[in-house]
Amino acid sequence: MLAAMQTAAIQTHGLTRRFGALTAVENVSFSVAPGQFFGFLGPNGAGKSTTIKMLTGLLEPSAGSIEILGQPFSAGALDLKRQIGVVPEGMALLGRLTAPEYLRFVGRMYGLDNKTTNERTEELLDFMQLANERRKLVTDFSHGMQKKLALAAAVIHGPRVLFLDEPFEGVDAIAAGMLKAMLTGMINRGATIFLTTHVLEIVERLCSHVAIIHQGRLVANGSLEELRAGVASSLPGAEGSQRLTLEQIFLAIVGAGGAEPAQELSWLA
Amino acid sequence: MAGLDSSAELPSGPSALGIFGDLARQQYSALSTMRWAQFSNGLRSNKGILELGARVLTYTVYGGTGIGISTGIGFATYLSVSHSGWKYLPIFFWIAFVIWQLVPIVMASFQEQFDLGILLRFPVSFSSYYLLYVIFGLVDVSTITGVFCCTGIWVGATIARPGETWWLALALAGFGVFNILLVRAIFAWIDRWLAQRRTREILGAIFLLLALSAQLLNPALREGRHTTHTTPQERIASQRQTFDRIRPWLQRANEVQRWLPAGSAAQAASTAAAGSPGAALESFGVLGIYSLLFGAVLGLRLRSEYAGESLGEAPSRKKAARREGAWLQGGSGPIAAILEKELRTLVRTLPLIYAIGAPLVLVVVFSGAFNRAVISGHRFEFAFPICLIYAQLGFIQLFYNSLGAEGMGIQLYFLSPTPIRTVLLAKNIFHSLLFALVILTASVLATLRIGPPSELIAVTSIAWLLFSLPCNLAAGNLFSLLMPYRINPGRLTRQRGSQANGLLSFLIQVGVMGIGALVILVCWFTDTQWLAAPIYLVLAAVAVFVWLRVLRNSEGIANRRRDELIATIAKLG
Repeated sequence: MLAAMQTAAIQTHGLTRRFGALTAVENVSFSVAPGQFFGFLGPNGAGKSTTIKMLTGLLEPSAGSIEILGQPFSAGALDLKRQIGVVPEGMALLGRLTAPEYLRFVGRMYGLDNKTTNERTEELLDFMQLANERRKLVTDFSHGMQKKLALAAAVIHGPRVLFLDEPFEGVDAIAAGMLKAMLTGMINRGATIFLTTHVLEIVERLCSHVAIIHQGRLVANGSLEELRAGVASSLPGAEGSQRLTLEQIFLAIVGAGGAEPAQELSWLA
Repeated sequence: MAGLDSSAELPSGPSALGIFGDLARQQYSALSTMRWAQFSNGLRSNKGILELGARVLTYTVYGGTGIGISTGIGFATYLSVSHSGWKYLPIFFWIAFVIWQLVPIVMASFQEQFDLGILLRFPVSFSSYYLLYVIFGLVDVSTITGVFCCTGIWVGATIARPGETWWLALALAGFGVFNILLVRAIFAWIDRWLAQRRTREILGAIFLLLALSAQLLNPALREGRHTTHTTPQERIASQRQTFDRIRPWLQRANEVQRWLPAGSAAQAASTAAAGSPGAALESFGVLGIYSLLFGAVLGLRLRSEYAGESLGEAPSRKKAARREGAWLQGGSGPIAAILEKELRTLVRTLPLIYAIGAPLVLVVVFSGAFNRAVISGHRFEFAFPICLIYAQLGFIQLFYNSLGAEGMGIQLYFLSPTPIRTVLLAKNIFHSLLFALVILTASVLATLRIGPPSELIAVTSIAWLLFSLPCNLAAGNLFSLLMPYRINPGRLTRQRGSQANGLLSFLIQVGVMGIGALVILVCWFTDTQWLAAPIYLVLAAVAVFVWLRVLRNSEGIANRRRDELIATIAKLG
């Protein structure tokens, strides 16, 4: 009850985005409470990245509204942008800079003073284990290193709301463990994290709430337990007999998508 | 585990053998279809149609220029062959050679070329890859201009000596093949060298060194030119003396050039026409060896690319743990951050340095022509402003596509709380400072070459620049938001340019220069030269007002077009 009375960290109403005749996201409404680790799932092409782009101001909604920390959000809401950190789909890196140069650049773009920016840059480079690569251009980084740098850039200004689009893609197990610890620490300090990923195990371990988008529409939204209970009740024989994994929940809601491919593609070795 | 049985037969399909085998032909067809689809899909948007229109217009201009040069060289060949036979034919081959090799250097940053690297994931044979690389080079401006030049030589010679030019046609064809292979080899290697940061920096340093060295040549070139009050007879005598002095060198150069590609091609044609097939075959052989040599040099490079070497960015070898401080430490905030970032990016982006620096080198070269252009005993007084105008041309890409080199980083501008107008303002400040530096350098270079301008000309030139700069910044900001294109900072060649942006920005340049020229004309003809500078300053004030309005509106434009901006500038490949 108390949570419901709090101002939502993220709230959308009827969020819609059309690309010509294609409706990529249709009438999506959800709310993310402050301090929540929110997993936003969906199959490829479901509309996850489109949604996150609209939530971060990279894409204008065709209809609907967005509120971040209780205030209407648009591309021009600059004060709100100071409260937001983003790892977008393309990572937004500048290839011709080195990692320290890039972090300093981002820090100053978010209005941090030089001293703070420099201190945080050094801390983040050490934390992300990028300190030994400080002379290398970002364009020469491996994909995993670029992801770590993008995450470092997303948090350098201490955002209250963090949007992460596939942050663990291409990151090795050690770095992934480190990132998870960092994100959990942020949640413990009251930040809100909006995460999209295909790695359901990570969502299951980290997220308290999950929404699933399919073909542009929100088809599930709630805590993991609520989703589990909902799916269990709809699956004959599953009720109470076992603890459903997120993968089972996801497949039950979204569907396996037809016949097994190997049976269809007879020419495939 | 049938699927893992190595003895299992591969699926049957077209044979992979041969440069014209079934598979190769199928791939050529697929590639043509893909290129056509890219072209026709591009026409679905207004931008694509505008691009096509600009392309047609641009190629018409290229074609017209080529025909003009071709007509000139053809006429000169006709006169030469009519009066002196084949004696001076090498001169025309060398002219064609210089044009063929110089044009791509001048145009490199502005041409769109298809990156064949995408083919490497497919089973394309090396020979097919090589062939495609050469074929895709055929539609560039240098080949068009070069072919026009060769056609001009052939037509001129054929009119002068009908029936004697079949050997010439053969020599020109061989010469053309050599030039195509040479151009492609040079640019393939340049791309390779530029792929490494260290090499880029070394080449950048060499480039600057060459520009400075040109200055050291200046005193030598100007030696003995202070005696301006000479009679025509004295001048002719002096020239004859100079010619006598260099005659032995010219004779030796003539001996040597026969063994060089352009000379051997000309030699082949002239000896064959003179009825010496043996000598002609020898010269053809020399030309063939050159073609094979540069074909092999190109092959060497393409072989590495084909083997999977990424030319996008070869890793830097040096890993230093040296801690470095930020520049502009005194200035915090987005504007200082962007200024620093722009400076760092610029020094690591050779195409931009090249675009800015090349006009400066040419100012040195062309100002020599002004030095000699003495009209009625007086120096051409507009030489100085013309040099400055030329130096300014290097900024077209920076002004008119200021976001093009951001790549994926463009997203950051929309994610951060810094307004886009602040980003553009910071870029404008940086570009203006750079512009001032380049103009200062060009002024020094021009002054050293042609002497100091009069006070009136200097003040008028500065006033015109004060008008021109905000005009370009205002238009450049609009173009950067409305017609951006991606710049690959790791490549000098194979850039995906935008003909529409290039053409329209060129037209604006012409417009600004036209206004400037009109003011000058009116003031000079009405004998009110002093009035030009105040008029430019009034125009500059108007231009600054327009620039500020554009900056103010840029926020809205950028936000309305952010999807397209991000899609265009952040796109891969």
